[in-house]
Amino acid sequence: MAIVEFKSNKFEVDEDGFLLKFEDWNPEWVEYVKESEGIAVISESHQKVIDFLQDYYKKNGIAPMVRILSKVTGYKLKEIYELFPSGPGKGACKMAGLPKPTGCV
Amino acid sequence: MAFISSGYNPAKPMEGRITDIGPRHFTDFLPPVLAKNKGAWDYHEILEPGVLLHVGLSGDKVYTVRCGGARLMSVTHIREICDIADKYCGGHLRFTTRNNIEFMVGTVEDAKALKADLNARKFAGGSYKFPVGGTGAGVTNIVHTQGWVHCHTPATDASGTVKATMDVVFEEFQNMRLPAPVRISMACCLNMCGAVHCSDIAILGIHRKPPIIDHESVDNICEVPLAVAACPTGAIRPTKIEFQGKQVNTVAVKNERCMFCGNCYTMCPAMPLADKTGDGIAIMVGGKISNRITTPKFSKVVVPFIPNEPPRWPKMTKVIKKILDTYAGDARKYERLGDWANRIGWERFFEKCDLEFSAHLIDDFRDPAYYTWRQTTQFKF
Repeated sequence: MAIVEFKSNKFEVDEDGFLLKFEDWNPEWVEYVKESEGIAVISESHQKVIDFLQDYYKKNGIAPMVRILSKVTGYKLKEIYELFPSGPGKGACKMAGLPKPTGCV
Repeated sequence: MAFISSGYNPAKPMEGRITDIGPRHFTDFLPPVLAKNKGAWDYHEILEPGVLLHVGLSGDKVYTVRCGGARLMSVTHIREICDIADKYCGGHLRFTTRNNIEFMVGTVEDAKALKADLNARKFAGGSYKFPVGGTGAGVTNIVHTQGWVHCHTPATDASGTVKATMDVVFEEFQNMRLPAPVRISMACCLNMCGAVHCSDIAILGIHRKPPIIDHESVDNICEVPLAVAACPTGAIRPTKIEFQGKQVNTVAVKNERCMFCGNCYTMCPAMPLADKTGDGIAIMVGGKISNRITTPKFSKVVVPFIPNEPPRWPKMTKVIKKILDTYAGDARKYERLGDWANRIGWERFFEKCDLEFSAHLIDDFRDPAYYTWRQTTQFKF
């Protein structure tokens, strides 16, 4: 798999640009990914979503369902798409360092 | 080829972005005669295999010529379809729900000329490009899936098995001599994308070996609880093991509880199960979706396993041909394959079709399995 280098960090990623290891995540990963995800500046709202995804993943071992993400963060799906144009899966989960969504996607 | 921009600006991805416009409205593409008589059709006839006539209340007539399509097609092929439509149909055409192609013309002479033209077009290898047929009580196109062309969970190939099968039953595509239409469908794993669960004859890719677990990456690339919950028989549980001197979170599979559905691989890329000799095909029969006379039915498994034999799958096509021929010779008019099997009894179906009945065919999935057993003394020796 490919390795990307960014500001003295090395991230191991797959062909879709998802981190292969959650432990490799650090705040610079977000800086690296934001461009490819169509995000100019990481706002507090972005951070809130990323933080929640990471907390939920650490606690439960899965990414939250969209309804849970909305309910806990208070952002409607529409607002999540405004923050992350690629959506909660491809956008937010990738930035948070969670595994790539699977199933019939 | 060097990069050629469509005008999209990656630096401002949301600028000028058009979204949520949906598909084009179908009336944009209606041939004039269909637009004029929409909702005002009187009756229809099948003039000959592959040619339909619809007559409107106004007296307008439209002749439809239906021809087979491989479903997986190149742009070159679609352009040829467009050329035919330009030549005969004023640039109009449609695709059916079974991926056949239909050309609509105004006169019976045009329909005959079009049919002759379509039947004369062949690929360099000799196959018909646009074989006319697929109407009435025959075998029409096979609804199928991606197979080895594009999917990552298949147990067999789709395009290959379908081509092999259609070659064997091709005469039934061009004729209407069966008791009722026979729908053949194909799915390359038991996700059953498409119509295998409700078709007269169904080809289904199956595995026969449990997943191989890539312990090194399970915890990194999978959401373990999803893999656990994906299992219909509860064969998967989370566990910790020692792997290359490290403690890793992973899953354990009880092989004796696993029935090789592959759902866990769908959810977790670290549990692949495709296997060259293990994988193969199950044949199901007797499903239908129409409400005509009898209610819709699920198809039932009648052959638990046929090995994959690319590129022509001879054992599989032989079984399908045998079932089709037995049905054609034995069933009454209007009787779908499932109606026939239910009337004569499944023990007779197996006898007539010369199929082996094995323990694999007896349902053992949860409480409803009980209802598939025979709770009566009524049976034939």
